[in-house]
Amino acid sequence: MRCDDCGKPANIRYVEMVDGELRDLHLCDDCANTRGMALSLSPLTGSLVNMLMGLLDEMGVGEERAEDGPVCPDCGLTRAEFRASGKLGCASCYEAFAAELKPLLRRVHGSTAHAGTIPSRAPQDIETSRRVRKLQLELERAVHAEEYERAAELRDEIRRLEADAVSGDAGGSSAKNDAGGANVDL
Amino acid sequence: MWTFESMVGQPSSWLDASGPRSDVVLSTRVRLARNLSGHPFPARAALEDLTAVEEKVLTSASKSNYLTNALVIRMDEAGPPVHQILVERHIASPSFGAKPEGRAVVVGENEVVSAMINEEDHLRLQALRSGLQPLDAWRLVSRIDVEVERNLQYAFSKDWGYLTSCPTNVGTGVRVSVLVHLVGLARLGEVAQVLGGISKLGLSVRGFYGERSAALGGFFQVSNQTTLGQSEEDIAYTVERISSRIVELELKAREELVARAGKRIEDEVWRAHGILTSARVMSSEEVMSLCSSLRLGVARGMIDGIDLGTLNRLLVVTQPGHLKYFHGENPSSDERDRMRADLVRRELGNRERAQ
Ligand SMILES: [Zn+2]
Ligand SMILES: [Zn+2]
Repeated sequence: MRCDDCGKPANIRYVEMVDGELRDLHLCDDCANTRGMALSLSPLTGSLVNMLMGLLDEMGVGEERAEDGPVCPDCGLTRAEFRASGKLGCASCYEAFAAELKPLLRRVHGSTAHAGTIPSRAPQDIETSRRVRKLQLELERAVHAEEYERAAELRDEIRRLEADAVSGDAGGSSAKNDAGGANVDL
Repeated sequence: MWTFESMVGQPSSWLDASGPRSDVVLSTRVRLARNLSGHPFPARAALEDLTAVEEKVLTSASKSNYLTNALVIRMDEAGPPVHQILVERHIASPSFGAKPEGRAVVVGENEVVSAMINEEDHLRLQALRSGLQPLDAWRLVSRIDVEVERNLQYAFSKDWGYLTSCPTNVGTGVRVSVLVHLVGLARLGEVAQVLGGISKLGLSVRGFYGERSAALGGFFQVSNQTTLGQSEEDIAYTVERISSRIVELELKAREELVARAGKRIEDEVWRAHGILTSARVMSSEEVMSLCSSLRLGVARGMIDGIDLGTLNRLLVVTQPGHLKYFHGENPSSDERDRMRADLVRRELGNRERAQ
């Protein structure tokens, strides 16, 4: 991205509202200073995805040419289109582009696993497997801390949940509490 | 009766400065990004998909206790002036008016809760609160999400959470934003350092209300940058915690500013008051900048009889869309500057001088 004022490489993205219109400025440090914005604002967040796409290319993740990549079976989004816009076309795109989304999401979010609320209409097994994953983490920690009694409790709880899941009855745990969404935070 | 006219005629309730830390924090916004399964995201959806999504979401939203009497505005019927007002009131995004077909907003009473349908995602649900209230706003928007979702099937993946058009929103789809007034830090020249620190903590910061007012007035928006891997509650808590810290730093900066240059600050505050209550022609940038000074004076108790809420509201109602609406026609920019000055004098209680 080039500085809107002088054309040198820009480090600062500056979004502003002027007379009800949104303006998106990219500026170099010098021009930002000249404009009286001696601010180290977050670097180019808007084009983060595009930047990362470039980065993935460098890392060799996108070794095949973008045109050769997968196409979403539902909405027809191509890899080239995804790379150009940084936007996905439908829910199935997440499956279709999973291979390049994973490193991308890790870079953007520092994580590739959802840890928040889940829809109340989501299948029960999602809730169960999330609880199990949490418990397994706790179990590891308990073993590490040599809290064997706690570890045994956790192991039993995990077994119970898994058995319920197999028998097709996860035991009526509420899928999503309506107040805080802290339901999965054990 | 909650109508568009009654909405524009009254100030947004979340600007009333009744919330915690209102001396520094104007408002908190929490929005959720949701999509329905079985329809492409809006950018790749045909009009029939957009209208189907619109109907589904509107029907479901009308059953929420929080949105029973909500105002529904279909963008293709509304036109640019209405869109501009919605942008100025933080209900719609600037890009939302570009393709109005199959797009709508839903605004709950007092504008605390609202939704955009078929923006970048099928549903953008938001709650706006006065002052610093990330956790409270999250809990509110989550309750509505649960109600609205009863009749909808959200696009959701076990691993990646709520699926969104942009991968930067996937997971929780939650954006928690706090609008802060960092006039003290800006004047001490420390704002860059503080904001730099914030971005290292994983939050993003951007100027609000124009470049000059960001530099001179110090209005900034602080929000979470990542949405995947943490619970919504944790995200809201992080924004709340870091914002509280920013508030402390700002209050300290104001203290120091007054200790260092008390008379000059007092002079600046009263000059701002003088201009705002007397001027006949004012640009919106000038209003922003002067309101910032006056806000500092009111928060520091240098001036009595002016309420922070009034100053917050001025930042919204002096914008062009609102001025146009009150004027009834398309005023020239000179007319607008005159109307703006009149409005400011009226709002600050100098009716008799406004003539
Ligand atoms: Zn430059
Ligand atoms: Zn797709």
